[in-house]
Amino acid sequence: MKMTKKSLLAMLLAVSMTASLASCGGNTTTTSTESTPSSTTSTEESSEAVSETSSETSGETETAGSTPRNETLYFAGQQWGTINDWNPMSANSNNAMAIAQSDMSRVLIYETLFMYNMLDGSLHGLLATDYEWNDDQTELTVHMNPDAKWSDGTPVTAEDVAYTFDTHVKYSSATGVDYATYIESVEAVDEGTVVFHSLCDDTGTPINPLKVLEYIPKVYVMQKAYLQTVEERNGSDAEAMKLDKMEDLVASGPYKPYYDDDQKVVFVRDDNYWGQAESMWGKLPAPKYIAHTIYADNNAGQVALAAGEVDVCQQFITDVQKLWEEQELPIMTYMDEAPYGLCTTMPTLWFNLTKPGLDQVEVRKAIAMAIDYDQIIASAMSNQSPTFAQVPRSIMNPTDGEQKLIDKDALADLQFNGKDIAGANALLDEAGIVDTDGDGIRDIDGVNLSYKAECPTGWTDWNASLEIVAAAGKEIGIDISTYFPDTNTFYNDMTTFNFDIVMNGTNGASVSNPWGRAMQLLSSTYNDLEINWSGNWGHYENARADELLALIPHETDEATLKEYYTELSQIYLTDVPSVSLMYRPQLFYSVNETVWTNYPEEGDDIPPTDCTDGYGIAALYELELVNP
Amino acid sequence: MLNTIKQVFRSPRFLIGFIIFALMLLTVIFYPLFVKADPLAMVGNGNFFKPGTYVNVSETVTANRYTLNVDVSGAAKLDRQLNESDRSKMADWLIRFGGVDEAEIDTSDSVALVELWKNNYSPDADQPGLISTDKKSFERLDKRIDEILSSSGIIIATEEEDGTLTESETIDETSYVNINDLATTQTFVLGTDNFGRDVLTELVAATTTSLRIGLIAGLIATAIGLILGLIAGYLGGLVDDIITFITNLFTVIPSFVILILISYSVGQSARGVGLVAMIIGFTSWTWTTRSVRSQVISLRNRDHVNLSKLSGHSMFRIIFTDILPYIASYVVMALILQISSGILAEAQLSMLGLGPATTKTATLGLMMNWAMQYSAHLNGSWWAYFPVILTIALISFSLNLMNTGLDQVFNPQLRD
Repeated sequence: MKMTKKSLLAMLLAVSMTASLASCGGNTTTTSTESTPSSTTSTEESSEAVSETSSETSGETETAGSTPRNETLYFAGQQWGTINDWNPMSANSNNAMAIAQSDMSRVLIYETLFMYNMLDGSLHGLLATDYEWNDDQTELTVHMNPDAKWSDGTPVTAEDVAYTFDTHVKYSSATGVDYATYIESVEAVDEGTVVFHSLCDDTGTPINPLKVLEYIPKVYVMQKAYLQTVEERNGSDAEAMKLDKMEDLVASGPYKPYYDDDQKVVFVRDDNYWGQAESMWGKLPAPKYIAHTIYADNNAGQVALAAGEVDVCQQFITDVQKLWEEQELPIMTYMDEAPYGLCTTMPTLWFNLTKPGLDQVEVRKAIAMAIDYDQIIASAMSNQSPTFAQVPRSIMNPTDGEQKLIDKDALADLQFNGKDIAGANALLDEAGIVDTDGDGIRDIDGVNLSYKAECPTGWTDWNASLEIVAAAGKEIGIDISTYFPDTNTFYNDMTTFNFDIVMNGTNGASVSNPWGRAMQLLSSTYNDLEINWSGNWGHYENARADELLALIPHETDEATLKEYYTELSQIYLTDVPSVSLMYRPQLFYSVNETVWTNYPEEGDDIPPTDCTDGYGIAALYELELVNP
Repeated sequence: MLNTIKQVFRSPRFLIGFIIFALMLLTVIFYPLFVKADPLAMVGNGNFFKPGTYVNVSETVTANRYTLNVDVSGAAKLDRQLNESDRSKMADWLIRFGGVDEAEIDTSDSVALVELWKNNYSPDADQPGLISTDKKSFERLDKRIDEILSSSGIIIATEEEDGTLTESETIDETSYVNINDLATTQTFVLGTDNFGRDVLTELVAATTTSLRIGLIAGLIATAIGLILGLIAGYLGGLVDDIITFITNLFTVIPSFVILILISYSVGQSARGVGLVAMIIGFTSWTWTTRSVRSQVISLRNRDHVNLSKLSGHSMFRIIFTDILPYIASYVVMALILQISSGILAEAQLSMLGLGPATTKTATLGLMMNWAMQYSAHLNGSWWAYFPVILTIALISFSLNLMNTGLDQVFNPQLRD
């Protein structure tokens, strides 16, 4: 009897545990006892089946695309899905590891004419050696590096540069559409000389020389002969051209595709790479392979970094300093102390200026005053940003190069420090925006001030920032609810002006910034776009701001520029069309020194752009093995 | 009735479950009476502050001082603060890069070791073969040693109006303050979460919300299940067919999927505690209906029911007096399980970000969700998620234990 009692108890416990785990409430204990054995067996069976298949697949991947650890540099945080193409003209390429044409383009496979170094704002020659403007900035002359070769051994010529631009324009790629409004033509004068002709207005002054200059560190040069092959096989159809997978690509970079599937992507070094010529790097990059395992999420990537399976990690890591201070792992970031990285962008809250309430500066300013920025920076951003006390608000990022272009004293009176609940409430009360119906939420003409603040799901630090914004709204009687849709829905909403409040980043560091960022924050030129990827998503309009923004690209005198930027910042802080929540690195950068060492760190002249972007790729030539 | 209750409480399983559950209920009721802080207030300026008592630093300077004759100076302090691995690291560096002979080094004599270190270590020294992170860890160690050495005799100074500093006092190494003398201390029994909110206060608020959601959801589900089951089982025929059809339909569609779809479509601003509870309740009644129906079918042909029918009693009277009492124990048990599964469903929903809004209510699922998003499990911040898991486990464990206890009392097959 005692035995039965014990076994009964054990069984009942097991049943109750299963019931609670499977959360299948509602049925009697008897039925669940009956159903338990069968369901358990079936789960066991299926889990066995799963483990079998997974061991099979892992066995396969070990042979396919596996590379020796001490010849491979592993990345995390760049590539999140199976690669869909290798086409720099593609509108929907997800091949972030190979194709990222931005202010600092990723130059592993394809190469640009120049590489941008965000530390000093300089342009380093890559496929080209030097550039010069003529006096009225209508012609930008670029001299090619005579050593530059394609992976098929033929030289990279001026003709290729011109043909690349023509192809972008001809097939209306995003790049083509953007630059055709600033560049009239690209002319190959001789094999080694390219001239970019600025598009000019009626008076003969170039529309925007900054955008012309922006082209050269940004847009990949493609081979004319290869482009012609692609045109031929797609019958010169614009849509087909942009959808071509280009798996047989010809490029000029130090690496070429080696292996890719849904688990990882691997590039292999091209040992005939032209860059080992003395005129360029004088040697080959150290890692023979570049590999990126496709992780399920940030946590998986972080675990791999801690375990030494990842060398360079482009991910936001909470309390990153704990990795070396408490766990004593050989991991470091660009700087040893907060903010740990070089912050160059400003994730910003954009208000839709046509929504009732948000069209009034008092409401926007009140929200901006109430938000607890210190909390966002300390908790949402885990202290990986300077505070607004350290770097007061303006349209500038925290780098010295940009900060010296504004007069901080002139902006001091316009600053708001955040968490000023009393001030925000007073501002709203004075403006007559009060809660008339007693539901705790202020209203205008009987309509509650109720908004949806939106950013993509899974962007942890942004999600948390918006929660802190929502908490601020609660304090001042403005109902702000957070909304985290998937990334595509978010971009759809943002670019088609279908939102109340969105959070989005600004331009970081580039040859055309801070002007480009000023445009993003204040220019009304984007307001008529049907699909707006460029900026000013809230449709702000200010004639004086537009005037200043048009003057800046032609101005070279620093004192005048400072005047302009200061006035723009004054307009920005007075009208609050949007408000920055934090500063943020363009790329997160944590490296593990288990296998490789000699990564860029503060004080070096190589920027911490993950050893892949812009002049940051120079790091690959400096890397050394810890145990050669 | 009284006898039944007595019998129920004699079951050890029920009793244990009941005690755990009652303790949680009491905590949830009484804790907010003593701690009036807003559970959603972001107190800590940072992620995941450790559990413990936080003392206001400036108050310790002005507080009453006591002198304790405990040796905290020089050697004793170095001994205590430099552990074995620190010392062997120092010795290693000195031998490799400092040009110190191994024989000179005695890691057990911390004072001599630190002196050697201070004489020979330089962060700018040529350290071939050492990776940057190691160099940095030596720099941190050196800084820490400096701090240990310099913390004797900290000077308090006050700033005059013209900006000059005047020394007001020196803090002696043997000075102590009594923590009870300090007025401004803040105790976080379970630390803070990623937003800097007090985890314990939040946990209590979240448990309240979860219990409320569980109770509403459980009541709704049981009520729907009971009514439909009674009607279908007692009336039979076409009504039974229709109800069974609908029930089967809902059984086949996974209720969690419906739950996700509804939660997603109503949008976050509408998803308050009540609505989430209702959505859960309306999607989880099917099993109760089926079980009640089958029990009613077996009851409706019993003699006492037939007798009532012959006596001309109305259908409602028969259901309420002749059928319901016989399945009452079962319904109570089903309710308990429904409450438990309602709480789990809310946790699952919030984990997916489809629960109530973060800034409006604290729920167990939301706490788990944010702890996971800020990788508390990876950086050792156990306090942000483990108490939450424990609470969920205890709620469902205690409810299930009560359920099995009841079963033991009411189910003749299990009675010993």
